Amino acid sequence: MTTTEQTPRLPFSRGNALEIAPDYEALRREAPVSRVLTPAGDPAWLITSYEAAKEVFRDRRFGRSHPAPEQASRISYAAVQDGPSGDFESEEREHKRMRRMLAPAFSAPRMRALGDRIAELTDRCLDDLQAARDADPGAPVDLTDFLAFPLPVLVICELLGVPYEDREKFRGLSERIARMDGGEDAQAAMTEFKAYMTQLAEAKRADPQPDVISDMVAVQADDPTFTDDDLARMGAGLLFAGHETTSTRIAMGTLFLLTDTARRDRFAADPEGQVAQTVEEILRLTATSGTGLLRYAHEDVEIAGTRIARGDAVLISSDAANRDAAVFADPDEFDPDRTPNVHLAFGTGAHVCIGANLARTELRTVFPKLFERFPGLRLAVGLDEIAVRTNRVAGGVDRVPVEW
Amino acid sequence: MKITADTDSCVASGQCVLLAPGTFDQDEETGSVVLLTDEPAAGEEDAVRQAELTCPAAAIRLAGA
Ligand code: SF4
Repeated sequence: MTTTEQTPRLPFSRGNALEIAPDYEALRREAPVSRVLTPAGDPAWLITSYEAAKEVFRDRRFGRSHPAPEQASRISYAAVQDGPSGDFESEEREHKRMRRMLAPAFSAPRMRALGDRIAELTDRCLDDLQAARDADPGAPVDLTDFLAFPLPVLVICELLGVPYEDREKFRGLSERIARMDGGEDAQAAMTEFKAYMTQLAEAKRADPQPDVISDMVAVQADDPTFTDDDLARMGAGLLFAGHETTSTRIAMGTLFLLTDTARRDRFAADPEGQVAQTVEEILRLTATSGTGLLRYAHEDVEIAGTRIARGDAVLISSDAANRDAAVFADPDEFDPDRTPNVHLAFGTGAHVCIGANLARTELRTVFPKLFERFPGLRLAVGLDEIAVRTNRVAGGVDRVPVEW
Repeated sequence: MKITADTDSCVASGQCVLLAPGTFDQDEETGSVVLLTDEPAAGEEDAVRQAELTCPAAAIRLAGA
């Protein structure tokens, strides 16, 4: 290709943690589907409009597998969302099996049952936050250390049946598999992660518990085509996904609420009444990784007038779609009264995030509790001092120092 | 307003239940949508409209005003 000089390369840089890169809007103004280079330098299509994003999410001619994986565009050198995954012939069948296996555990009745437990764990995290402040009253406390990170980890550990004591181990592994320039180390971490899961599955096989890993082990007993490797990979995937994504939303949600005192006060005055819509707005506006979600075209497809050839990589930028002015008035404004607010933070269609209900339950618990307890919470540093992680699949920020 | 839910296309995401818990539920075993009533439960008209828009599988349909 001779035009690569003009082809924009991901990830784009952004002004601060609460903004998205202006390049998305510039591209969208030209076309909903653009030619880009991935962080690994390979060609891909980037979807920036809401309508096109929704269309691709719902179109079964796109998948995570590739007809000829060795020729596929590579996204990054992480060990997740890095390139094709799964088997081209059996992807749809496998995906259905996975949904069937996991749906009950993530369903609304189970989330209702888990709700009280999430509330209890949140209180415990907030006690720790207070204790850290009491230990050194002059110093700001990092909300990521005491709430944004530990809470989702505690919750996913309970749901999956993973010992919380092992958190440093899988925190390290999660970080390593998601580093976009991880390369061999990311792959080695994935191997270790799977070994850890295999060991855990062994323990559940001997002594089943009411948790998701035990459910998977039970499914495997009936369906031997679900291999040990499949089980380990799925377990690691769930543990990883349960950890950075919600964590990022708690950190960013707090940032959104604290960077505008009027906004904070308004929320703190009626947290229960406002939380459902405030959470949707946080989900809509939180910009994640700089790449978007990965699909490969399984046949030649035309999207918004652009012909996408079989095997081409497509990156769906939910971050950009969620700020498409064609759908959301004043898209960059934080407006908890926005209705309807049908954002694509969890994707949509058959692959919609299975943890969406869990994430919403956690977020709807955490923000009211945080602001009931600390109505005068404030940021201890300027927004510009909060670095955005550009090198991680799930994005996020390094710290949220607060005081009260 | 009459509600229908297509359990075949439902992907068990539970968005509807979270929005309108008096109108929708999910099957404990399969996660599939269960209609508790074919009219929105009291006070849930807007939530049901939002559920129709939000359902990732477009499995929820509303007919009538
Ligand atoms: S929102 Fe749609 S896909 Fe999700 S449970 Fe309800 S009907 Fe099923």
